[in-house]
Amino acid sequence: MGELRTAGERPPWEGLDGTDRHAACVVAARDGDRRALDVLIADLTPLVWHVARGHGLDRSTAEDVVQTVWLALLRHLDRLVEPRALAGWLVVATRREAQRTWTPSRREAALSDELAEQLESEYGLPEDAALVDDRDHRLWRAFGRLSQKCQELLRLTVLAGRAEYRAVAEALSMPRGSIGPTRGRCLTTLRAHLDAEGGSR
Amino acid sequence: MNDIDPRDDRRGHEDTAVLTELNRLVYELDAPPAGLVERIQFAVALENLDVEVARWERAGSFAGVRGGNPGTITFTVDNLTLMVNFTSTGARHRIDGWLVPAGEHTVEVRVAEHESSTTKADDGGRFVLSDVPAGTTQIVVHLVNSRGEPGRTVVTPTIML
Repeated sequence: MGELRTAGERPPWEGLDGTDRHAACVVAARDGDRRALDVLIADLTPLVWHVARGHGLDRSTAEDVVQTVWLALLRHLDRLVEPRALAGWLVVATRREAQRTWTPSRREAALSDELAEQLESEYGLPEDAALVDDRDHRLWRAFGRLSQKCQELLRLTVLAGRAEYRAVAEALSMPRGSIGPTRGRCLTTLRAHLDAEGGSR
Repeated sequence: MNDIDPRDDRRGHEDTAVLTELNRLVYELDAPPAGLVERIQFAVALENLDVEVARWERAGSFAGVRGGNPGTITFTVDNLTLMVNFTSTGARHRIDGWLVPAGEHTVEVRVAEHESSTTKADDGGRFVLSDVPAGTTQIVVHLVNSRGEPGRTVVTPTIML
């Protein structure tokens, strides 16, 4: 890796966003620009975090997984065939890491997709004491009852709706403006849980 | 968020509304922990980026070691196991470690905002660093092969001590 760049130099990713920005950072990081790596970490850690959390890891385990994924990227930087595909690489690496971290008893891997979609999650969401608003409270509980598969899908859907995460939609071949049948079913279940939560109060 | 679902029907609107709320909740309630980005930036600020990552083995326990008495942590990568025991001595720590397979590997303990401490494992793979400052800590092991020649470098994620 080369020398650190002088701080005054205009970074090549400046003014870029989304996939273009990430790609410019990957190229600069390969050239030894450590600032580029820091930018990628700041920009994309929320993505890695939500993928890990969407797999049902508790917050402290998710934190280790997130770190492991970034450290694993270091030696992979030069091997990324397509710098624009970084977000996709991170999503795949995080899923793999989350699955291997999971204890076997909690693994849903052996279940069919359909079953995994229906299986309710029993753990993993943070304390909701901070939720003052009753509607927020009910929605969060309803979300927590969704399967891990649905939780991940919906987290990624909301991420992909944000400008800085367009790359996620590309990486997951999620056309913008499309929900898709699985996401549709997850949302239907979520709304059913939400109605049930409302009825019990 | 409005562009997530353009379906012009009631269900589409309901879905979009729920997603908009969920978006806010996920971001407000389940944001990455404070300081995580900085801890990762510290973890990757390594001289040599050609590193292998040792994973924290939790032995089925989800209880993370965060503060309190962390005790012993095991990290593994491929055939290498690194066991470290942390003993608090007030604001600082004593680190007892054991590398398997054994070898006179160089062990570097990096602590954010402090100088690194470096030692060498003995021929049984054991090493001790008796006075390490507390903080965001990462262990870097520079392995040697059986002939004592430098080989791969293994790093751990950071732990908070």
